[in-house]
Amino acid sequence: MVRRRSAGVWLLALTAPFLSEAAADTTNNAASAMSPDSVTITTVNYVVPPVHLVRDTGQSVSLQQELDDGRPVVMNFVFTTCATTCPLSSQTFAEFQNKLGPERHGVHLVSISIDPEHDTPQRLRAYAKKFHAGPQWQHYTGTLQASLAVQQSFGAYRGDKMSHTPLTLLRAAPGDAWTRIEGFVTPDELLNCYRRLLAR
Amino acid sequence: MKAHTSVRALAALCALSVGATSTVSKPAQPQASAVSIGESIYRFGMLPGGKPLRGERASGVPVDGTIAACVNCHRRSGLGAAEGRGYIPPITGQFLFHPRVSSRDDSDLPYVDGARINREPFTEQTLARAIRQGIGTEGKSLSVLMPHYALDDAEMAALVEYLKHLTKTQVPGVSDSELQFATIITPDANPVKVKAMLSVLNDYFDEKNAAARAVSPRLHSYHKMMFRATRKWRLHVWELTGPATAWEAQLQARLAAEPVFAALSGIGGKNWAPVHHFCEQAGLPCLFPNVELPVVEENEFYSLYFSRGVLLEAGLIAHQLREQPQWSTVRRLVQVYRADDIGATAARMLESESRRPGLQLVARVLKAGGTDAGLVGTLKDIGPGDELVLWLRPKDLAALGNQPVKADDVWISGLMGALEHAPLPSTWRNRTHMAYPFDLPDKRRVRVDYPLGWFRVRHVPVVDLQVQADTYLACGLVSETLNHMVDTFVRDYLVERIEAMLEHRVITGYYPRLALAPGQRFASKGGYSVHFAEPTGAKIVPEGDWIVPF
Repeated sequence: MVRRRSAGVWLLALTAPFLSEAAADTTNNAASAMSPDSVTITTVNYVVPPVHLVRDTGQSVSLQQELDDGRPVVMNFVFTTCATTCPLSSQTFAEFQNKLGPERHGVHLVSISIDPEHDTPQRLRAYAKKFHAGPQWQHYTGTLQASLAVQQSFGAYRGDKMSHTPLTLLRAAPGDAWTRIEGFVTPDELLNCYRRLLAR
Repeated sequence: MKAHTSVRALAALCALSVGATSTVSKPAQPQASAVSIGESIYRFGMLPGGKPLRGERASGVPVDGTIAACVNCHRRSGLGAAEGRGYIPPITGQFLFHPRVSSRDDSDLPYVDGARINREPFTEQTLARAIRQGIGTEGKSLSVLMPHYALDDAEMAALVEYLKHLTKTQVPGVSDSELQFATIITPDANPVKVKAMLSVLNDYFDEKNAAARAVSPRLHSYHKMMFRATRKWRLHVWELTGPATAWEAQLQARLAAEPVFAALSGIGGKNWAPVHHFCEQAGLPCLFPNVELPVVEENEFYSLYFSRGVLLEAGLIAHQLREQPQWSTVRRLVQVYRADDIGATAARMLESESRRPGLQLVARVLKAGGTDAGLVGTLKDIGPGDELVLWLRPKDLAALGNQPVKADDVWISGLMGALEHAPLPSTWRNRTHMAYPFDLPDKRRVRVDYPLGWFRVRHVPVVDLQVQADTYLACGLVSETLNHMVDTFVRDYLVERIEAMLEHRVITGYYPRLALAPGQRFASKGGYSVHFAEPTGAKIVPEGDWIVPF
């Protein structure tokens, strides 16, 4: 099996072009937007919105406080009835969690629901269990407005949940800029990115 | 949820195996059982013998069992979907083995977003290679999302047979010139609401057909996609009769005699289950019927509902009860309902949602057609420490009389009680909350002006605005979705496209928002708790924000 790229080498490639309907008609190219040989990495200063979210325990929490408890944060956006990209993103988090070994106690993995009306705390718990989420990996829901505010603040909003794209956000410490990875990052790549971020 | 699906998958596999062996003498039998094995792999990620399907993505991430199943991405129809910035392609035999076409205009393939048509067709060998190694017909890698599967030759052959089987060329209820729809009416549906619904449906179909041109030619050209589909819509009204045990047989007979593409809207009374189960068995989309008590089976496929109805109301009430500061001091939850109505099921749901130590759960069941005195009699001992929940229709609400009730709170069902038109006596109003599973009147006004304007122009009398607005909404949703499907009339695909497109819709009638997804069957998830602002009239006031109870 051919690896897409060697570990430790980051490509600042362009994201695959947005496929228009006309392009979809004639493309036979396997390198569609769904199969990036590239992942795009940028650094952005995001402002965490002052919203409350709900953990899968049912507890209402301030997102700002959740993300600013001193731990580095690795974040993605999911919904529990997504059967296509979220299982891969969440499985990647699960493998990342494993590969960290004892270091995992120092990280905060954050998965935020983009379908909060369906994703009740109970459904999130079942979803988290599927991926063996440890105590350092929290899933969040809340009101529709709160979820939208978070998505918009982090440039993750695509208009509706079916249009969501794979996205991982990392931040070493409160106040730092965020590393934004667009595309399907592999567990090894995520691990490398995380370690390099902490090393700075 | 995963365990539940695995058990169902095993059961399905067993059922399929039994089905196959019953036709042992026919030469087609090996093909039938291959399709069954293929279906089990495709839909449930289950190999013969109950072993899970195993795969691995190029990034090294493993998948097995139900999450490895092809259906997750390629969908039940096999026609794929849009996802994020790209598409998951169709993989029915028709698409996989079709000769290369350089332009959609030259193709007789039905229109599907994301179809890869400008490539060499697969052969059985190259398809097996694609599934095992993720390599396309021109030697390039497939998407990183596509796993590399471990399938032996027999399993692969069975899966490919199933993919060929997914090709649908003849679809019931679809001809070049017409689309046939059924609307299903149960005998226990409220006759006024039945008439209200039918007046909307008949006028909607008439208007659609007035706009349609004569015979629609097969849509060959990409550019012709811009024209609205010109098929006429035909409505078949299936009015069921007799006891509920007889309905499935009646529906089967109807479908055999009048093959339809889908069931649109429709209306039920207290028992919709036979209709729901029939549609699931027959593979007939059942699209947004007017039912106050739907069937809750989120892992089924063909029935789509606007909301969970009175079950949602039970959830709203339970939520509000639990939020009350004095909830722990409430002694009794007393629920009142008529024996022959949907209140019984709603009351059971509320009991299970509000159960706690120290809380006495009381259900007072009024006989069907009982007297007003009977109703008033059930309330004699209500006092402080009681929460009273009335699952009652307008007639009973009006008969509550003027004696003030001394319960801590009273709750009524908006759906059963006629929403803000509930004839709740004035002395009850300052203590009564209503479960309200819709958007508030002033917030929905602009959206509801659309159907109201249409009713006015078409001279459709408005006798139940909520039912009629919902019916009009169902027609509009289905019409829009079909327009986007162009000439790809496949029943499963209709359901999948509604799932995908619904969230985009801005004009959503009585609902603030509608959204579905694979595994979601109820488009509106919440509601309000409201009370009447004044002793008389229809002005209501919300008690807090929109609540999503489940």
